[in-house]
Amino acid sequence: MITTNAIAPISQSSDAKREIVRLTDVCKYYGQDDTLVKALDDVSFVIKEGEYCAIMGASGSGKSTCMNIIGCLDSSTSGQYFLDEEDVSDMEERDLAGVRNLKIGFVFQQYHLLAQLSALENVMLPMAYANVRPKEQKERAATALERVAMGHRLNNRPNQMSGGQQQRVAIARAIVNNPVMLLADEPTGALDSHTTAEVMELFGELNTSGITVIMVTHEADVARNTQRIIWFRDGQIVNDRLSPSDLNHVL
Amino acid sequence: MAGKTLAANRLRSTLTMLGIIIGNASVILMVGVGQGAQKYASQQFQSLGTDVIFVITGTDNARRNVIAPPNRLVLADAEAIATQVPTVRSVAPQINGSELAIAGNNTKRATLIGTTDSYAIVRNAEVSSGRFFNEEDIKRNARVVTIGAAIAKELFPQGSSVGQTVRIRGTSYEVIGIMSEKGAFLGTNQDDTIFLPITTMTNRLTGKTSPYGVAIGVINVSATSNDNVDAAQFQISNLLRLRHRTSDINADDTFTVRTQQDALEIVGNITGALTILLAAIAGISLFVGGIGIMNIMLVSVTERTQEIGLRKALGASPSDILTQFTIEAVILSLLGGAIGTAIGISGILLIAAVSPLQAGVSIGAICLSVGVSGGIGLFFGIFPARQAARLDPIVALRSI
Repeated sequence: MITTNAIAPISQSSDAKREIVRLTDVCKYYGQDDTLVKALDDVSFVIKEGEYCAIMGASGSGKSTCMNIIGCLDSSTSGQYFLDEEDVSDMEERDLAGVRNLKIGFVFQQYHLLAQLSALENVMLPMAYANVRPKEQKERAATALERVAMGHRLNNRPNQMSGGQQQRVAIARAIVNNPVMLLADEPTGALDSHTTAEVMELFGELNTSGITVIMVTHEADVARNTQRIIWFRDGQIVNDRLSPSDLNHVL
Repeated sequence: MAGKTLAANRLRSTLTMLGIIIGNASVILMVGVGQGAQKYASQQFQSLGTDVIFVITGTDNARRNVIAPPNRLVLADAEAIATQVPTVRSVAPQINGSELAIAGNNTKRATLIGTTDSYAIVRNAEVSSGRFFNEEDIKRNARVVTIGAAIAKELFPQGSSVGQTVRIRGTSYEVIGIMSEKGAFLGTNQDDTIFLPITTMTNRLTGKTSPYGVAIGVINVSATSNDNVDAAQFQISNLLRLRHRTSDINADDTFTVRTQQDALEIVGNITGALTILLAAIAGISLFVGGIGIMNIMLVSVTERTQEIGLRKALGASPSDILTQFTIEAVILSLLGGAIGTAIGISGILLIAAVSPLQAGVSIGAICLSVGVSGGIGLFFGIFPARQAARLDPIVALRSI
C-alpha cells in the first residue's frame, strides 16, 4: 500500500474554491456476518470545483460503488457525503431525485438515449423533470446540442446517429441543467479510439469552461487526459491525488 | 411523452387496447339492444291501446302447474262485463284455434280467432281493404272471415283476395276484409290470423265446450278512459268472483285480469333483466380487457427497466415514474374505450337500420363505459406503475 486513505485536506483550503464532493469515512457494506463484503471501507476525499478527475481501479475495487454514491444513486452504510456543500447522506428518494436532476449530469457507457425520442427531446428530458417551460426547454436543449457540436442533428433519432454522436447527445443532456459536476461512467467504453479521442477532447473543453468532471474508467489512456486520479483497491483509496504522469508507475 | 412511447409500440398498444375495445363495444351494443327491445316492446303495447284490459281464464299459477283451468270463462261472463261494469266501454270475447286454410292450390296453417265486431275497436285492429265483420254477421252466423296480411299474401298470391273464398275444415268462407300488417308480437302474429265471427266459430268449428256455455280463452275489454283502467280491473274481478262463486274471500281467483300497465311492467321487467344480463356479460369482457392492460403494462415495466433507471438518474422522482406509467395505462384504456364506443355506436346504428329494433345510443351507457374503461386503466395501471416507481435506479441502469 503506497499511501493510506489520507484525511481529507480541508485545512489545505488555500484556494477558496467550492467543494463539490466531500466524502467522509464513507462505508458501503453488502451482506452480513460471514458473507459481509466491504465494497467501500472508510473512504474519504474531496473534489473541488473545476477539477477533472478519474476514479480508477480494478473491477471489484469499489470504484463503481463509489461512483453510485457520488451520483446519489445509492446510499452509504455509514459516513457522510456532502454534495455541493449540502449533506445528502440521509435524504429521501424524492429529494435525491431533485439533487440528481439539478446537480449531477450523468454520462453512461451505453449512452442511454431513449430510442423513441429525437436528440432534442432526449436533451430536454432532464428539464422536463425540473419543470422548465417547454419553450425554454427547446431553446436550452438546442444550445446544449450546439455546444457539443450536434446542432445539426436536433431531430435525429438515436438509431440514426453513430456511437460518438450519441455520446455527444448524452453529454449535452448531462450539461443542460447546468449541474455542479459531470459524472461519467466509462464514457468511452463503447467507442473506437478515434471517437474516444474526440469525446475526451469534448470533456476537456467542458472542464476548461469550468465544469467539474468526474470519470470512472479502467483505461489508462482515458485517465491520462485528466488532472487527478483517485485509485481504488479492495474498497479503499490507495492514492487520491495520483498525477496522470505517475500512472505508469502504478500500472 | 406517454403518447410517444405508446406510438413507438403501436402493435403492442393496439393489442392491449383490443380487450377494452371489445369490452366497451359490447357494453354499448348490448345495453343499446336491450333498451331497444324494451322500447320496441312498450311501443307494441302502446299500439294496442293503453286502456285495454285482458281477462284470461285461469291464473298464472294454475297455468304454470299445467292444471286445466277450472271454472273457465264463458261467453256469458263477457256479456255480464259488458252490461254490468260501468267503467267498461267495449268487450270482445275471443276463442282461439288453429286450422289449415285452403284457397285453390294454396294451403296455410292459420291461427283462428273467433270474436265479435268490438274486437277491432278494443284491440285497435284496422283493415287495409274490405271490412271487419259486423254485428249482423255475428247474428247470422255468417260464413265470413277477415284475414291477416300474411295469410292473404300466401293464399292469394295474385292479390285482391276480398270476395274470394277460403276453405276451413270443409266449409267455405267468404273473405270480406284484410287486416293491416302489424308484425309478430309476444308470440302472436296478427298477420297469420284469420278472424271470424264468434258464433260462426263455435257453431262450425269448436262447439260448446263448457257446461256453462261457450268457453272462451280471453275477454278483451277496453275501459271508458285511461284513468278508469284500475277501477275497471277491480270491478271486473269482483263481478267474475261473484259469477264464479268464489265466495271465500281468501280463495284465489280462477281468472286473471291483466291491464296493459301490468303487461307493460312484466315485459319491462323481462327486458330490463335481459339488459342487465347482457351488460353484465359485456362488463366481464371489459374487466378481462383491464387485466390485459395490467398484463401488458407489467411486461412493459420489465422491458423498460433501463429506461426507468435512466429517467431516475436524470431526476425523475418515484411519483414522476408512477404518473408516467399510470397515464400510459389510462391513455391506452381511454383510447380503447373511445374506439370501442365508436364501434358500439356503429353496431347499434346498423341494427337499427336492418331490424325493427330501434336500438338507442344511450348517453348513459357511453359515459359509464368510457368512465369505467378509464377507471380500469387507472385501477389496473397503478400496480405496474408502482412496480416501476419502486425500481432501484442502480439495478435498473445496470440491466443492460
